[in-house]
Amino acid sequence: MSDDALSALWMSDPTGSKEGVMGAVNAVLQEDRVAREKDRWVRAGGVLAVALLCPVLLWAAAYGKTPLVRGAYALMAVGTAVLVSAEWRFLAWGRQAMPGPDDARSQLQKSAFLLGRQATLVRLAPLWCAPIFAGAALIGAWLYTNVGHASGCGLWLLTSAGWLACLAGGVSKGAALDARRVRMERVLTDLLSQ
Amino acid sequence: MAGDLDDRRRFAELIEAYAAPIRRLCSGYAVATPDREDLFQDIFLAVWRAFPAFRGDATVRTWLYRIAHNVALTWQKRDRRRQRREMPLEADVADLHPAGPPDLRRLALERAIGSLNPGDRTLTLLWLEGLSAAEIEDVTGVKAATVAVRLSRIRKQLRTAEVMS
Repeated sequence: MSDDALSALWMSDPTGSKEGVMGAVNAVLQEDRVAREKDRWVRAGGVLAVALLCPVLLWAAAYGKTPLVRGAYALMAVGTAVLVSAEWRFLAWGRQAMPGPDDARSQLQKSAFLLGRQATLVRLAPLWCAPIFAGAALIGAWLYTNVGHASGCGLWLLTSAGWLACLAGGVSKGAALDARRVRMERVLTDLLSQ
Repeated sequence: MAGDLDDRRRFAELIEAYAAPIRRLCSGYAVATPDREDLFQDIFLAVWRAFPAFRGDATVRTWLYRIAHNVALTWQKRDRRRQRREMPLEADVADLHPAGPPDLRRLALERAIGSLNPGDRTLTLLWLEGLSAAEIEDVTGVKAATVAVRLSRIRKQLRTAEVMS
């Protein structure tokens, strides 16, 4: 079979009709609208956390009962700000990694690189979330001495569980992102091999 | 607002002009009809998002193929997708051609393309759509000389598969 015949056979695909163009346009625009809406909500949540939670925490850090409580709230305010900025960074890298008009080699390299960055960021979540948990643990210490052993221990338990969940989530999400990066690098190798 | 409407009109024209080649491309990357539709929509979603940045310094065709193949290469690696390639043959064929009996020679060609590694598949699909080695370099970033060498090997493979069918 000649090259032309092979190409003609390929072009003979019966599914390649022009039907349903408007349906496809509308579906694409609708999907885009939904995705942008979701993105807006995530951003709004972050802004709300910074605008409402941080001032409250900073106020508590300034006017808390004891230096221990003030320090605890200050740590939690710092942790919240770091959390929001990390979330925005993660989303921004996700958007940059989306397929665009670069050539396939550049696109795969860029996507793999950004996936690697995202994996590192989520794997480090227990570290950059640590100020929040440390702050909560200090509040637990204050409760332990001033309110009662049970409430102090209860908060420590909750804090530990939260930190462990953060650790497990970070490790598992990081592994999933790394697996995607490795597959992408394999495609890149396939593409560039002789 | 007028600009947005103008964008939508131009986007609809683009879909109309390139629906057929992009559907063929989808058939090279996905076996089942729902997967193809999914991929088709994902490709044009990426095109719509990249649309405002298109400045015309590349031809529309190579620009579109760059996006389409980038989406397809990413798409086939997603975890959430079902591995429909492992479906039984009867189910596969019925799912592929719900409207009527398939062209067996074309089906054999699709299967041969589907069995290639992702890199070779990308080059093959672009070649079958009539792109030159230079255009394929523009789309994939693989040197034109390398493209020519690899396509020569792939063509032999495809002809063998076609004869075997």
